[in-house]
Amino acid sequence: MKLQRSREWWLARARREGDAAIGAGMSALDPLPEAKPTGATGMNVEEARIAFGKFVNLMRRRKGLTIEELAKEADLDVSDLLVIEDHIEYTPDPRTIYKLAQTFDVSQQRLMQLAGLVVANDVGFRLEAVRFAARSEAVEKLNVEEASALEAFIGVLSEREPQRSK
Amino acid sequence: MTVEVSRIYLLDVATGASIDAELRDGIEQEQLDDWRTKWQPALAVVLQELAGRGVPISQWPQSWHWNWDQKSARVQGLLSYRGLCVVAQGETQGLAQIDLTKSCQESRQAGRPLVYLDYLEVAPWNRREIQRPTRFRGVGTALLSAAVQLSLDEGFKGRLGLHSLPQADDFYRGMGMTDLGPDSNYQGLRYFEMTADHARAFLDEED
Repeated sequence: MKLQRSREWWLARARREGDAAIGAGMSALDPLPEAKPTGATGMNVEEARIAFGKFVNLMRRRKGLTIEELAKEADLDVSDLLVIEDHIEYTPDPRTIYKLAQTFDVSQQRLMQLAGLVVANDVGFRLEAVRFAARSEAVEKLNVEEASALEAFIGVLSEREPQRSK
Repeated sequence: MTVEVSRIYLLDVATGASIDAELRDGIEQEQLDDWRTKWQPALAVVLQELAGRGVPISQWPQSWHWNWDQKSARVQGLLSYRGLCVVAQGETQGLAQIDLTKSCQESRQAGRPLVYLDYLEVAPWNRREIQRPTRFRGVGTALLSAAVQLSLDEGFKGRLGLHSLPQADDFYRGMGMTDLGPDSNYQGLRYFEMTADHARAFLDEED
């Protein structure tokens, strides 16, 4: 199917469309908000969430910040950060992930995967997340092993997903 | 299957500039990845905000009947159908799926074959009820134009049928499609059909 029209033809139609919401078919209906986006299938969601909570905890401490200070820097609620670090059953919303990814300077998509909001497709990433969760203990100060585990995992979080072959 | 690419133009809402875009007559893995990693998170933000604010369902932008698993499964299944998409600035801006096995219901053309638009969705950032201001205008119209052209190519004379989302009803009426009323088999979505005459006017070269 080829459809060739002038730039003016297309732009005139775009203008006519205005703010109209165009959609068709039952599959185009939006999902219910109570139903959360599919969790990280393939990766044990709990493991990923543990890794996510630990990651936030360690990154915060590496920056030498209290929860309150991080909340201020990332423009987030203190209560949100508290449950993220301590309660694995809590799923943060995408805006929170976005702010954290910016604050920690890591890939937003990767952090989404870690938080269980979207699916990670590469096995390597899942393994790294599990390994990270297993290696880091929650203590008052970062010890040498935690620091190196964190450094290694920041590297993984900064990488993009590998392109899949078609 | 080779995907045919047509050069089209969208309107950048913020600047009023013309944006180069591609109309592609196939849906590929890139589109599904965009849906999963970009559309879904963008939509989730709005859905959760609405739920959190305690906005009554009657005031939500449209009917929110699908859960994520169902919707995700349907979208991931698009690869096996005839699809259309619009791509601009490296991102999928709109998706549509075509069914060539259905027949017309409108009295003047009842029983004749038509292109049935099984699914048409525009990226959340191009939808006013999701994001203001929106990014691009013209995505939905481009997908409809492509579906009509496909109907001509198939020898169906531009005949087109679809079940409209509630907030799109006025748009389809405005472009001259016949409103055949709510369809109880499709969660009460209204069924619209485009006749051959309307199709010719819709794809007219003149402007």
